[in-house]
This record gives sequence, C-alpha cells and structure tokens, in this order.
Amino acid sequence: MTAALTVSLTGVTKRYRGTPALDSVDLSFGAGITGLLGPNGAGKTTFLRIVATVLAPDAGDVRLLGRVPETADRLAEVRRRLGYLPQEMGFPRGFTAFGFVDYMAVLKEWTAHAARHAEVRRVLDLVDLGNVTTKRISALSGGQRRRVALAQALLGEPDLLLLDEPTTGVDPEQRVTLRQVLSRAGERSTVLLSTHQTEDVAALCDRVVVLDAGRVRFDGPVTDLVATAAGRVWLADAPHPAARASWRTGTGRHRNVGEAAPPGAEPAEPTLEDAYLLLLGDRARTTAVAA
Amino acid sequence: MTTWHTDDDLLARYARGDAGPLLGASVEQHLLTCAGCRRRIADHVDPTPLDAIWARIEDQVQVPARGAVERWLTRAGVSETDALLVARAPSLRASWLSGLAATMFFAAVGAAWGGPRGVALFLLLAPLVPVAGVAFAYGPDVDPAYETALAAPYPAARLLLLRTAAVLVSSLPLTLLAGLLIPAMSWTAVSWLLPALAFTAVVLAGSTWARPGAVAAVLGAGWVVAVGSASRASDPAAVLTPALLIAYAVAGGVAVLVLCVRIRHLARLGSSS
Repeated sequence: MTAALTVSLTGVTKRYRGTPALDSVDLSFGAGITGLLGPNGAGKTTFLRIVATVLAPDAGDVRLLGRVPETADRLAEVRRRLGYLPQEMGFPRGFTAFGFVDYMAVLKEWTAHAARHAEVRRVLDLVDLGNVTTKRISALSGGQRRRVALAQALLGEPDLLLLDEPTTGVDPEQRVTLRQVLSRAGERSTVLLSTHQTEDVAALCDRVVVLDAGRVRFDGPVTDLVATAAGRVWLADAPHPAARASWRTGTGRHRNVGEAAPPGAEPAEPTLEDAYLLLLGDRARTTAVAA
Repeated sequence: MTTWHTDDDLLARYARGDAGPLLGASVEQHLLTCAGCRRRIADHVDPTPLDAIWARIEDQVQVPARGAVERWLTRAGVSETDALLVARAPSLRASWLSGLAATMFFAAVGAAWGGPRGVALFLLLAPLVPVAGVAFAYGPDVDPAYETALAAPYPAARLLLLRTAAVLVSSLPLTLLAGLLIPAMSWTAVSWLLPALAFTAVVLAGSTWARPGAVAAVLGAGWVVAVGSASRASDPAAVLTPALLIAYAVAGGVAVLVLCVRIRHLARLGSSS
C-alpha cells in the first residue's frame, strides 16, 4: 500500500508572517485524479507549491515518488518526474507557443533536438493548439494561453501532475478536451487538481479533498461528499430563510440548500456544489457560487 | 480506362526500387491515376524516413530562429541547450546591449569633456552596469514563468550563474572601452572594475534571500549617494581610493563565500516571492 503512494505529507505546516496557510496537514496520494476544493486562502496553492518542491514547509515530512526532496540530487530526481502548472503563470516576452514549450522542455532536460521537438508538438496537439504553434503567445486568447501553460506541464508524461486552476479562462468546449487529457493522465499518474469548478471535480475525480483555513475538512470519494447533501436540497416556489444558500433557477423555482427540506418541498438531486456549500457553510458561499 | 491494377508483389518491388525502368514507369503512371493502388502502396513503404523529413519541415516552420546572442554563446563553447536558456535573459537581448552601448558612449563623451561632473557620471554608471544586467537576468521580477521553471530539474543556480557570466562578458568590455576613451581618467578608467565585480557578487549572494532586483536597487541607491557626496566634495574619484578598493575586494570575497554557503536556497521560492 505505502509503496504505491507517490505523495505523502505528514504534519506539514507553512506559515506566512505567523498566519498558518497550512496547519499540520496529513495527506497522501497514489495514482488517480484528486480534486482540491476550498475557498480562496484555504491553502490549496501553498499545498501544491510544497508538493511541486518549489516551497519548503516550515515543519512536517514530505515524501514524493519515494524520495525526501531535500538534497539537490533528490530534488532533481523528483523534478524530472513532475509536471506543474502554477496558479498565476505568465510568459516571458516574445515567445511563440512552440518556442515557450521548447524552452520549458530544455529546462526539463530534453537535450536531443529531434526528440524534444517531437515531444513539444505532441503536448501542443494534446491541448488542441497544434494549429497555433508559431503564433506569439501575446497574440493568443486567455484560454489558449492557459492551454500553453498546461502543455508544458504535460511534457514527458510526468508521474506526478500538479495543476492549480488549469481551466481558468478556458471555454466549455475546450474544457471537455482538457478533461479527456487529464482523465487519460490520471490512469497512470498521480494528478492533483486545485480548482473552484466543482463540476470539473465531479466530472474527473474519484477523490476530493476540501481544505479550509489550512486544514483538511473533507477527504474521501466524491460520491461520499455528494451523499452528505442527500435530503438537504429542495426546490420551492420561494427562497427559504433557513437555507444556507438559495437562488432562483431558470425554471422560476428556487433551489434551496439547507438543513432539512420543509414539508411540501420537492426534493432535488444534490450536486457536489451543494455538498461543498453545506460542508463549509457561510465561508464557501461567496467563492463557490461566484465561481 | 484500364482494369489492370498492381499486385502486392509488384508494389513491394516498386517501393524498393527493384521494378526496373520500364515496369517502374508504368506502375508510376498507374499510381498517378489510381487512388486504390496509392492506398495499398502505403503498406510497402517504410514511414520512418518520411516522418523524419516531415519533422524537419515542421522544425523549419516552428522552431524560432536563433538570436545573435544565442549564436554567439554557442560559438564561445556554450552547449546549444545552455545557450537557448541563457540568451532568454532580458539583459542579454540585442536591444538591451545596444542601449547599454549608447549609454556608455555618452557617459564617456561626458567624462572626456564634462570635467569632474562628467567623470562623476561615468563613475556613477560604470559599476552599476553589470549590477543592472544581473538584476534583469533572472528572478521573479523579470521572468513571469519563474515558478514553473523552478519546478524543472535544470538547476536554478546554474542558470543564474551562467546568465551572470554572460552579462559580465557582454557588458564589461563595452564599459571598459568607454572608460578608455577618457584621456584624463587614467587609473580610474579601470579601477571601477573592482566595485563592479564586488557589487555583482553581493547581488548574487543577496538573491539567496530576496529578489535580485531589490538587492540591486538598494546597492545602486547606496552607490549614487556615495558618488554624489564625493563629487560634491570636489573629487568623484574619492570613491576609488586604495583603502576603499581593498574594502570592495573584501566585500566581494565575503559575498562569494555567502553565495557558496547559501546557494541551495536558489532552488526554492524565497520568502519574498
């Protein structure tokens, strides 16, 4: 069991000016896709940065791909098998899509020309950018740029793929393309996906981790989290004052997410978003509904 | 229209080039008009050389042309992959280097004909040239993909040091040349090299704590104040007295030691980024 784990964090703590961004977190992951949910500032980005080896924790143990990434050698060994898409990723000026991914491929130690260029073409085709490889990144749309950023993370089919909000700015059609890419990656690699899009998590992930204020609030199968909302979501003709969240749907009825359905209300099928809202209560409302 | 078609054996011989001139020519004629036989010949052709040709065509279209700095680096013995990475520093672009050449030319003109004020201007700029070059060569301020690059196996320290070396090699000769144009400067025309190298080492050591740009800005401000006050007290070259030159050398040596001890910190995000 332990041997199959690619990521294992024990008691990991990280503080920024005294405020804990992660507070003694224990989490481990094997192959498959795990979604990370949580309000802004919950610690998702800090968590991914630590797993991506770019940030050292203040306390706790980190084991990645069977190694403790502390010495330069171990760090390089882990980084060779890691793909990382940070939350806010820009591009140096003047690069074309091909030029940038090629530059990243050199940083990932693809030294032989032909193999490197073929790999760059492969990942750009994967994210459906094969026809704009020679365009300057500054001339691409926001969604296309995000896909260039994702392409570099896919170089070399990494065993550990860390994606911080990969679908920001990507249109629904392309999101479906990306889901296919990620679900294929999840068959052989460990994929950690931080997002505000509960529907991406519902569509892709077998497991979901909810972080809140640097602590793990939920960790388990997506279906288990959804099941916690069973019987707590209903449709009515008016918003209910006791509901955690309530909004008018396209049919003119109000979807109420709250504790128990009042008599006469029509029960509705709960979604992952409903369960997430109920788990985090008021803290989640602003971020999840807005996203 | 003919109802004759090539058989597999003939297609195989044609694809190998063994069909002979007469038979070969008629197969070729037939293939031009018969889509069915064209599809079948694909099984007899080894795609490997064709794929290689296609990849070369794609490379011609897609791979960006190598810039002047990149070519110059490979000619100087830097590996092609290192050159590709190093040349991407903003302070190694042709635009930066030509701007630097123009600046140093005017500084030299000022120093030659501008009296003490001109000399002060030259002394103000010269040691800060490599400092600015290093500040604009590496780090989160100048590289929007800095964090992504950090997670790659290529060592960050190697990239910083290679870029620093390239900055020194490209900017110092320009500045030296400008200094030598000044007849009245004599010793001062070269002794600025010592603070220039010391400051560069301090920026490198400081970058293990903070952004290189921030360290360079603090250092630059200090140097401006020093040259300014020496200039007001009549001799700007007072910042290069032998005692001070020794102090620069010591500071530079300490900075190199600090860099060696702390170099592993470059592999992670600093506390400031």
